[in-house]
Amino acid sequence: MEIKTNTDGSTLTISVSGRVDTVTAPELEAGLKFGDATQVVLDLADVPYMSSAGLRLLLTAHKTMMAKGGELKIANIQPTVKEVLDITGFSDILNLV
Amino acid sequence: MTQRRSLNLKLVLSVLAAFLLSMAFTWFLHSRLSERDAYKLIDSTFESVEDEITDCVDERLVRQCMAVRERLDEGYPTDLRSLQDLAREMGVTEISIADAKGDIIHASVQDYLAAPGKPAFNFRTAGGKAEDMMCLVDGFATEYCQPYRSNTANGAWRKFVGVWMPTTGGFVEIGCDGASLRALSRASLVDLFRNWRVGGTGGIVVTTMSGLVLSDYEEPNREGAQWEDPDDSFYWKRKEIEGFPTYVMIPRDSAAVQRDVLVGATAVLNGAALVFVALLVGFVISAFVRNQIKLQTAKELKMATDIQLAAIPNVFPPFPDETSFDIWAAMDTAKEVGGDFYDFYFTGSDRVLFLVADVSGKGVPAAMFMMRAKALIKSVAQTGKQIGQVFEEANDALCEGNSSNTFVTVWAGELNIRTGHVSYVNAGHNPPIVRLGGKVEYLRSRPSLVLGAMAGARYRVNELQLEPGDAIYLYTDGIVEQHNAAGELYGDDQLLKTVSGCAKRRDGLLSTVIEDVRRHAAGAEQADDCTQLVLRYRGTPETFSREYKPTMEDLAKASADLAKALEGVPADCANIMMVAADEIFANIVRYSGATDWTLTVERTRHPDGVRLVITDNGKPFDPLSRRDPDTTLCADDREVGGLGILIVKKTMSPVTYRRNNGRNILTMGKEHGDQN
Repeated sequence: MEIKTNTDGSTLTISVSGRVDTVTAPELEAGLKFGDATQVVLDLADVPYMSSAGLRLLLTAHKTMMAKGGELKIANIQPTVKEVLDITGFSDILNLV
Repeated sequence: MTQRRSLNLKLVLSVLAAFLLSMAFTWFLHSRLSERDAYKLIDSTFESVEDEITDCVDERLVRQCMAVRERLDEGYPTDLRSLQDLAREMGVTEISIADAKGDIIHASVQDYLAAPGKPAFNFRTAGGKAEDMMCLVDGFATEYCQPYRSNTANGAWRKFVGVWMPTTGGFVEIGCDGASLRALSRASLVDLFRNWRVGGTGGIVVTTMSGLVLSDYEEPNREGAQWEDPDDSFYWKRKEIEGFPTYVMIPRDSAAVQRDVLVGATAVLNGAALVFVALLVGFVISAFVRNQIKLQTAKELKMATDIQLAAIPNVFPPFPDETSFDIWAAMDTAKEVGGDFYDFYFTGSDRVLFLVADVSGKGVPAAMFMMRAKALIKSVAQTGKQIGQVFEEANDALCEGNSSNTFVTVWAGELNIRTGHVSYVNAGHNPPIVRLGGKVEYLRSRPSLVLGAMAGARYRVNELQLEPGDAIYLYTDGIVEQHNAAGELYGDDQLLKTVSGCAKRRDGLLSTVIEDVRRHAAGAEQADDCTQLVLRYRGTPETFSREYKPTMEDLAKASADLAKALEGVPADCANIMMVAADEIFANIVRYSGATDWTLTVERTRHPDGVRLVITDNGKPFDPLSRRDPDTTLCADDREVGGLGILIVKKTMSPVTYRRNNGRNILTMGKEHGDQN
């Protein structure tokens, strides 16, 4: 798994590459550091699929950003990830862009 | 039926008894009534009879009195002796002549006349009833009769009659004792009541004191005959009127005529009513009984059908772990219980036998023969014998004691699930339809003899090779022989067309054919059972299988193995399968307490698909029995637990779980791509 970060003003963009499952979830968890950023974009363009281990991280990140008055946006999700988010009802909670 | 007849008999007997009882009561009642009526009639008749006799006697005595007056007017001497003579001559007891003051001036009785120291008898002052006679002096009456009674003067019984004497203003009176009274008047009573009838055939008889007939209603001119009291065949009464014993009598028969007519009429009417009611009740009861029998029969036929249906396999898919073939079957029974059946079972670890059969005839006998045939074929087949021999043994057993000449047509095939090779026998059955390499056609072979017809018959075994994706469709003649209102059969050609049209579907084929047959029938009754079976050969799957330890390292290994095994599977299918597998792997490694677990991956074709079998020796856990988490809560309330299982259930199909030999066995499958 590869995680890249890029800061543009107050917006932090985190690009993830690789599958998110039980094996890789700890890596992703370690990479989801937002610092002082109030606007975070999580770019999942290169994530082919995500299991419930990843969902837990997304939910935690979402709650963290909301708590400090910021916003987490999730961008470029792939069909299989979308399917999982839809089934679990996470599509309605997260900000998908 | 015997019960019904005895029920009818009892009914008739009780109705008859009630009828007789009611008639007896009516008869008794009317007997009493007619007796009472008869005596009432007799009493009222006596009133008229009394008047008539009195009038008659009075008239006779007045006439006699006038004759006396006439003699006196002619100058007959009025001294005592002369009047006594006259009295004797005129047949009366005494004669008295009174003046206008009511004093007796002449009489045939000494006592009435004045004597020294004793005035004459005076009618006005004598007392008793004598004064009544003064009406001849005081009033306008010219004649007067007293009733026959005890005389006040001397205590003797007398009847006095007087007539006015215009010459003196007084009157002449005669007195008669019983004997003279009767002697004078008896002649005028003769045949007096001859024409009177009482109550139809009854009548009046007048007799003398000595019992001689004066007037008899039965036999006229019987005067002087000796009379005797009537016997018990009459209602009668006797009364002395003016000294004449008089009888009014009514024959009992005659009085009873009305009763008899009444009772007879009542009997006829009641009888008719009862017969009608009995017929009606009998009809209602027999209709009820018939209906009960009909209901009972329908119930038993329904039970027979249920037993029959329960005897054939009806859970689909029947072999959920078996990926090398699919089998689907359906039986649409006609109204009546019939003799169709289908069956399938393993006859060895890699051989499965499947068949469709149709017993000749209908109803319970056919159903029973069907059960026997089914059980026989299965018991021989499961000994592992070759299919031709199975048929020969089953046939010999069915022929034994088959006196009804019932038989069964069977098409049976035995599939080797590893090679796709089919050995089949056709015992007089319709040819099946096969799909071989995409081509759909009838599989025609020379049929052997039907089962149950002749012992010792030989059964030819034919061979057929199925490749993955090939299929075979069996049916009974109820399908092709279903007719519509115009009498046109569904037919072989239409069936072939329908089967070709939906070759790519599995269970859809059976319902499609049935719907098309019904559409053809267009409301005409289903004539026969429609039984179908389709077997689709999918071939032996490519299989990957490996055992793991419950560690994160092995979980990563299993993930990588699965990813490799899924090479060539379309990405969307492979990805979601990876997700589902990850959820199960994680559960096993984290929570199951297993010491080892396995993953098996089967790649199937026709249709293309993947099936995962994941087993572990951990604590029993059925993920399918868990309640789904609520996915509609907002972010703050959401938990992550349970979502993994939800994803598996929503994305994989079919998913099955079972616990076997201390292991949890979870299977999940998914089809993809072109299903051919």
